[in-house]
Amino acid sequence: MIVYLSQEELDAFAIDRAESLLGYAYEWEGEGVVHLHTRSLTHAFGEISGCMFSKSAFCTDVVEDVRWLVFIDEGCIKVGLRVDGGIQYVGFQMIPSKENLYSRSKGILEIRVLQNKHVAIIGLGSFGSQIAIELSKSGVGEFSLVDFDRVELHNLARHTCFIKDLGRLKTDAIEEAVLGKNPYAKIHKYPLDISKNRMELETIVSHVDLVICATDNNPSRFVLSQALFDFQKIGIFGRAFTRAEGGDVFVYRPGQACYSCMVGNIGVAQEEITNEASARQNGVIPAYVSAQDADAMVQVGLSADIEPICNMMVKLALVELSKGEASGISCLEDELVYNYYLWANRRERKFTNWHVLPGAGPMPTIMRWYGAHISRREGCAICSDDEILLDIGDNLE
Amino acid sequence: MMKYNRFKAEQEVLEAKLPSNIYRFMDMNTSRPYLVMAARTNRGNVYTLRIELDMFPDSIPQVFVNKMLYDCNNNPLDTPSSTMHTLNSKNGCTQICHYGSSSWTNRVSLYKVYIKCRLWLEMYEAHLSSGKPIDYYLKHQN
Ligand SMILES: [Zn+2]
Repeated sequence: MIVYLSQEELDAFAIDRAESLLGYAYEWEGEGVVHLHTRSLTHAFGEISGCMFSKSAFCTDVVEDVRWLVFIDEGCIKVGLRVDGGIQYVGFQMIPSKENLYSRSKGILEIRVLQNKHVAIIGLGSFGSQIAIELSKSGVGEFSLVDFDRVELHNLARHTCFIKDLGRLKTDAIEEAVLGKNPYAKIHKYPLDISKNRMELETIVSHVDLVICATDNNPSRFVLSQALFDFQKIGIFGRAFTRAEGGDVFVYRPGQACYSCMVGNIGVAQEEITNEASARQNGVIPAYVSAQDADAMVQVGLSADIEPICNMMVKLALVELSKGEASGISCLEDELVYNYYLWANRRERKFTNWHVLPGAGPMPTIMRWYGAHISRREGCAICSDDEILLDIGDNLE
Repeated sequence: MMKYNRFKAEQEVLEAKLPSNIYRFMDMNTSRPYLVMAARTNRGNVYTLRIELDMFPDSIPQVFVNKMLYDCNNNPLDTPSSTMHTLNSKNGCTQICHYGSSSWTNRVSLYKVYIKCRLWLEMYEAHLSSGKPIDYYLKHQN
């Protein structure tokens, strides 16, 4: 039998006044693995039964039907399994406490810095779900997860969620995934539509250190961009182009160009459409397009196509979060200085004439990032200090 | 919802371009603000437009003609139509499809929206006399 205990929970129990408490045993049925906890887990797993935690070996008779027993005496821990009226003692291992959980990353990432950082992830689709999990693996300590959607079949192939998650709110499913990597992370869940809940969005943005903007349409990005500007928070936007030919990442740093400046400077991109229902709702697929034509418009890249974009967003987030702190990722501060990054994925459409990788030399090729500085746009509808320069349609007069 | 500096900028453009008695901002301090505008076509007909501002300028504002319009075969323009540039009607009012989502940015002014809807009304009247669908005259923007 493989037995796991939580160091953090045992430490808390040791200084608690209670002599004993009834906890929980989560047993992977038929796999010979059990995790013993003093408190119930937010997202349970396996077969659940009772587990008695006690500071003396004498009070165990009280609870007859409890199979698992944990004794803590003067720093000595013993785990017992009730068998045929007797107790059989078994070996166990510890889930490390907070500061030691990801100690292997020490030197590469400054865990203590990230532990105190709070990141909001707006949109928990194929981008947001992956990024949430990556950031929790890196040791980010607090998350605000925002998405009003539920896990549906159409996009499951490149989402981190499983078939068993169908129907669940994405905020709940991703909370489970994040806690699965870092049980000490603090999670705040907001199953709401940011375009219709501006006040809530402003509250969320005002409390975090960085925002991952992983929604799939421009209206919501404009809404986000306004909140980032109002509260002077760093935001990282990412998206894939149609047919997975590539994608781009935009970083908003207070004082620099905002998302709206970016759209004003480089125009509106042809984005991939991954979900007909949401694309219809926000007008990306006009209402008059037939079901058949809409079906042809929904062309989803592979998980492998969006992975590099998510990865870049994660790295940028880690660099921004650790800025000014000595950490192994500081070296990237000199590299990731741009606010716009273009990823060329396939030699199709706008990248058709790019060079094939072999023998391309300095010529542009796919599978590469291209960085650029995008400057602030005069009269920007969001970040301009002066008067807003509106598009009044000169070409129409 | 529009910020105050945006509202001011929109007002300035409208003041400079249009007579002040043909437009009025309504319910601006509520969650359902809108702009009412009168539009006179070259043939001299006057229509009232209602531009809904609750999601403006982040999203394309919905624009309704203040009544149901009918095509040349006397069918109501109440459903999404690619050839007639219309969307679902609401409260018995025809909705104009004036902008494509891929060309929308938050810089687009209400004045420009108004001009595009006026253009639509001209083409609508052209349709009534020629029988040709509106997209015969107006190119799609996506
Ligand atoms: Zn700007």
